[in-house]
Amino acid sequence: MAKETTKPFRQSMAEWRQFIYNPTSGEFLGRTAKSWGLILLFYLVFYGFLAALFTFTLWVMLQTLSNDLPKYRDRISSPGLMISPKPDTALEFHFNKSDSQSYAEYVTTLQNFLESYNDSKQSQNIDCTRGKIFDQSEAAVKKACRFNLSDLGPCSGKEDANFGYSKGTPCVLVKMNRIIGLKPEGEPHIQCNPKEEGMVSINYFPRNGAMDLMYFPYYGKNLHAHYLQPLVAVQLAIAPNATKEEITIECKIHGSPNLKNQDDRDKFLGRVAFEVMMSE
Amino acid sequence: MDWGILGYDDHKLDVKELELKYNTSATKGLSEAEASERLLRDGPNALRPPRGTPGCVRFGRQLAGGLQCLMWVAAAICLIAYGVQQGQGDRGSSDNLYLAVALIAVVVVTGCFGYYQEFKSTNIIASFRNLVPQQATVVRAGQVLQVNAAELVVGDLVEIKGGDRVPADIRVLAAQGCKVDNSSLTGESEPQTRSPECTHDSHLETRNIAFFSTMCLEGTATGLVISTGERTVIGRIASLASGVENEKTPIAVEIEHFVDIIAGLAVLFGGTFFVVAMLIGYPFLRALVFFMAIVVAYVPEGLLATVTVCLSLTAKRLARRNCVVKNLEAVETLGSTSVICSDKTGTLTQNRMAVAHLWFDGRVHAADTTEDLSGEAFDQSSPSWSLLSRVISLCNRAQFKPGQDDVPVAQRDVIGDASESALLKFAEATSGPVAAARGRFPKVAELPFNSTNKFQVSVHDAGSQQLLVLKGAPERVPGRCSGALQAGEERPLDAEWRRSLEGACLDLGGRGERVLGFCARWLPAGTVPAGTPPEHLAQVASGLCFAGLVSLIDPPRATVPQAVRKCRTAGIRVIMVTGDHPVTAKAIAAQVGIISEGSETPEDVAERLHLPLEQVRPSQARARVVTGSELAALAPGALEELLRAHPEMVFARTSPQQKLVIVESCQRLGAIVAVTGDGVNDSPALKKADIGVAMGIAGSDAAKNAADMILLDDNFASIVTGVEQGRLIFDNLKKSIAYTLTKNIPELTPYLIYITASVPLPLGCITILFIELCTDIFPSVSLAYERAESDIMHLRPRNPRRDRLVNEPLAAYSYFQIGAIQSFAGFTDYFVAMAQEGWWPYLVLGLRPRWEDAHEQELQDSYGQQWTFEQRRYQQYTCYTVFFISIEMCQIADVLIRKTRRLSLFQQGLFRNRTLLVAIVFQVCIGCFLCYCPGMPNVFNFMPIRFQWWLVPMPFGLLILVYDEIRKLGVRRHPGSWWDRELYY
Repeated sequence: MAKETTKPFRQSMAEWRQFIYNPTSGEFLGRTAKSWGLILLFYLVFYGFLAALFTFTLWVMLQTLSNDLPKYRDRISSPGLMISPKPDTALEFHFNKSDSQSYAEYVTTLQNFLESYNDSKQSQNIDCTRGKIFDQSEAAVKKACRFNLSDLGPCSGKEDANFGYSKGTPCVLVKMNRIIGLKPEGEPHIQCNPKEEGMVSINYFPRNGAMDLMYFPYYGKNLHAHYLQPLVAVQLAIAPNATKEEITIECKIHGSPNLKNQDDRDKFLGRVAFEVMMSE
Repeated sequence: MDWGILGYDDHKLDVKELELKYNTSATKGLSEAEASERLLRDGPNALRPPRGTPGCVRFGRQLAGGLQCLMWVAAAICLIAYGVQQGQGDRGSSDNLYLAVALIAVVVVTGCFGYYQEFKSTNIIASFRNLVPQQATVVRAGQVLQVNAAELVVGDLVEIKGGDRVPADIRVLAAQGCKVDNSSLTGESEPQTRSPECTHDSHLETRNIAFFSTMCLEGTATGLVISTGERTVIGRIASLASGVENEKTPIAVEIEHFVDIIAGLAVLFGGTFFVVAMLIGYPFLRALVFFMAIVVAYVPEGLLATVTVCLSLTAKRLARRNCVVKNLEAVETLGSTSVICSDKTGTLTQNRMAVAHLWFDGRVHAADTTEDLSGEAFDQSSPSWSLLSRVISLCNRAQFKPGQDDVPVAQRDVIGDASESALLKFAEATSGPVAAARGRFPKVAELPFNSTNKFQVSVHDAGSQQLLVLKGAPERVPGRCSGALQAGEERPLDAEWRRSLEGACLDLGGRGERVLGFCARWLPAGTVPAGTPPEHLAQVASGLCFAGLVSLIDPPRATVPQAVRKCRTAGIRVIMVTGDHPVTAKAIAAQVGIISEGSETPEDVAERLHLPLEQVRPSQARARVVTGSELAALAPGALEELLRAHPEMVFARTSPQQKLVIVESCQRLGAIVAVTGDGVNDSPALKKADIGVAMGIAGSDAAKNAADMILLDDNFASIVTGVEQGRLIFDNLKKSIAYTLTKNIPELTPYLIYITASVPLPLGCITILFIELCTDIFPSVSLAYERAESDIMHLRPRNPRRDRLVNEPLAAYSYFQIGAIQSFAGFTDYFVAMAQEGWWPYLVLGLRPRWEDAHEQELQDSYGQQWTFEQRRYQQYTCYTVFFISIEMCQIADVLIRKTRRLSLFQQGLFRNRTLLVAIVFQVCIGCFLCYCPGMPNVFNFMPIRFQWWLVPMPFGLLILVYDEIRKLGVRRHPGSWWDRELYY
């Protein structure tokens, strides 16, 4: 019977030392230098070959991919919604309408975000037919549709550099995630609802919160470099009695059967919820 | 051993005192009501199986192994991580809780499984014992009843007769020619007389107590039950023996050794990456979760279950071949056995007397000793034979039990002692119905055999004459003869004849056979009138005619010589240890091949060279017969010398204690020893042995309790089957473990790359658990059905110190080569799936922080599309699934290559192992189910993946197949080369 006899500590230490380096046989960790050399050479060749095979396979795979179009869009059949500005912590706006510092970050974010929507940046963009899908699949060069900042009304930043934050009517921009080839059906528009009635009234720019079909489909960042997502500005007129209250607002995309807005798990698929708390 | 049990004085009491003491009647027995009351008080009259560790402790042990502890730690880390996340208000992320529950479930479920297997194997024994409930004849309220022996109580009046097992410790009140076999208790092989008188102070020596579970050989007796169950003498010895802790089996040592290494490596890996993660700048909790994930990935969760299943499959296979295994691990122990200490009687021999030789007409004739009388008959044409056969038929008191006309002669039950039964069967088989012959020659008078006369006489009417027949010890018979039969004619005795007779006696005696002489004489009718007192017959029996000699032996089983030869080719040494006479032991050893042809003992050498025995060098003699008294006189260490010097050893006249000494000496020489035995006193040796083998038919319960294995047919050849299966399972376990270990690397590397290269996680913990415990279990178990690659019975037994179950080449080959290929396959498929969904490899590297940011709902892929967190999460599940499928595809190749370690897959036969093919199909089906069953994404994180992602890993699978064929080719072509040493596991 292989009986377990407990060896004295010193003996087992000596055995370990012997294992790490054995001066008589010149073995280091149970192998001689030559043996180590051979085995390392073997693994060098072995892993070299595997790495080469791996690289080659990936290279071949990359050759089959298009630069312009992803091969599959299995996971992104329907777009998510997002807002700008985006507070760092969990979509909660906290500001004091009389303290410009408290909302400065939101304002800068909005200004930076709308920078690319300036007319100067849109010189190459064309005016498209409103209310119609702008299909350019035949065209070699994909044109981008012009998005007029003026459509955003008081939230464009032209009239009010503070986007209404100083007046207690803060603007939030709602946008839809870009997905290549997505063609919304019907008349998609954003509609926001506060959780509690009577604390806030909401205005949409463009009117009805419409997202025009002419901005779709998107052709990818390579082909469609100047593409601009359509925006919907939501202006919240917070009732005087609702200051210092947390107001939860949920915005959803409506009017388009192929844009989901009620997924159980994905709270951002076709909808977005945020909180506003304004003090004076 | 102290058998003197205090207050044991029942043998000295007389009947009245006994009746008073036990409140019973020596004529009517107990009343039914009293008996059932006592049964309630004392419990059933049966040996409790040795009180093993209580169930909850055994179950607890299943939950507290090395790997299990690691899993507990991992689960605890998950729970802590979950708790902290909850505390920080991070709702929605219950992955860690989920994983903790899964881990705990895994430990508990595998624990239950292991416990169940253990429980089942103990149960085999229990069911086997209950197969034949022993019956006892008991007198209760004056009525003779048959009851289950377990229902006997103290004070019961029982009757026993020849052929019964004594149902409890019994004080004999009346007996007629009752003899019992106490060999299982005291080692004495001579039958012992039982009678009502107290003959000795010690209750063990006195004649008026019959012990529980000893055999009543002949006669009848009536007695009072004085103790039952555990309180009997045998019960006390058995409970003493069960107190000895079992030593660990070699396979248990192997597995423990290897589990320790795995656990150590897991902690080492996990610890290293914990430190690395901390250094890179991950928060403590995250690093802790990494540690947990690495442990889960690296620990082979399904391995212990696989090993258990493989062993129990073999145990089942063995049970079909009459070996019942009590302790699963004993299966493999038998495979590594290098010495078998075998009992003689009943194991090597048939445990019945049979006529081996006859001597008539001056020649020795060999009789048929096969179990079923299928051997060749001797020449029966001589007229001498017809007289001899008649004498054999008539001078015999044994008779067949009635109603057995359809039963073959060899299997019929006989009333009578062993030699007479043998002669009766012999006569019946060679010269037709004995009963008819006895009918034609009715018996007039007889003188039974006794130890002073050493012969037996009977006189029969034969029409106008009477025939007197006599059989007896060969030294007594010729003195009563005046002539001898030669070719049917009576010749006067001369010196030459006497020499020839003496020569024959010596020759047959030297073969360990018991010789009887037969003679007869025709008398005028009426010489011996009916009713003549037997004593007068001794005078009449003179001037007889000598008919011949018959010699009897307990013949070896037909299958044994071949089995011993098989052991020899398998490098296993068979040592005979018996209580029998050295001459008989040597003769049987020579017949079965334990002493091979041409081997000489020192005595033989001395005789051949005419040397004094002391001058024979041990190296001159291969064989050696050592008796118990010689053994007792040996100096310490001298036995090891003997065992080393003589390859063929026979120990005769040994006591059970010496059996233990022999086993220990073999073990000191480094051997793995199997011991066979059947008596109570063998139980220490059975316990001491690495594997104790008890006899199912002849074995006592104590021996069965002490043994690890039980031979249901008491046949030595079954041990050889066990050895073969044990060796096969060792090989197959090796393959199974190699298969199981391989996938730990492709399970581990995703985490290493995840931490170091910050890619989105390629493989989740839940998915790993599915690989370990669901899909890969069946293929790894199916390897247990693999045939042997070569003739394993032509190899030496494995050296437990050198030939490990898991050796360095096995681990290196599995981990660093096949495992590495699988990892590359997984990552290839991962990058392909990511790239085709829009995430190119160079974007993926370093993407992890943004990818896992739950606030990031618009992460851009390589094409400018924006993904919400949830969409990314499903993409991550897609990666898990793709990686899972890659491992599965490679594991199919892996299980195919593991079919052989040396032979080419095509030499072994790709389709030979049906179970393995079924397992592969099953594995693929489970894979498909997990991928495509609706609801899987949110339950187990599996996504329906595209068909072509199944194909990506296939070239790697093919590479595994081809590479392993190259490896095996190199190993076969260049044995002993660098390639062979590094790559043959």
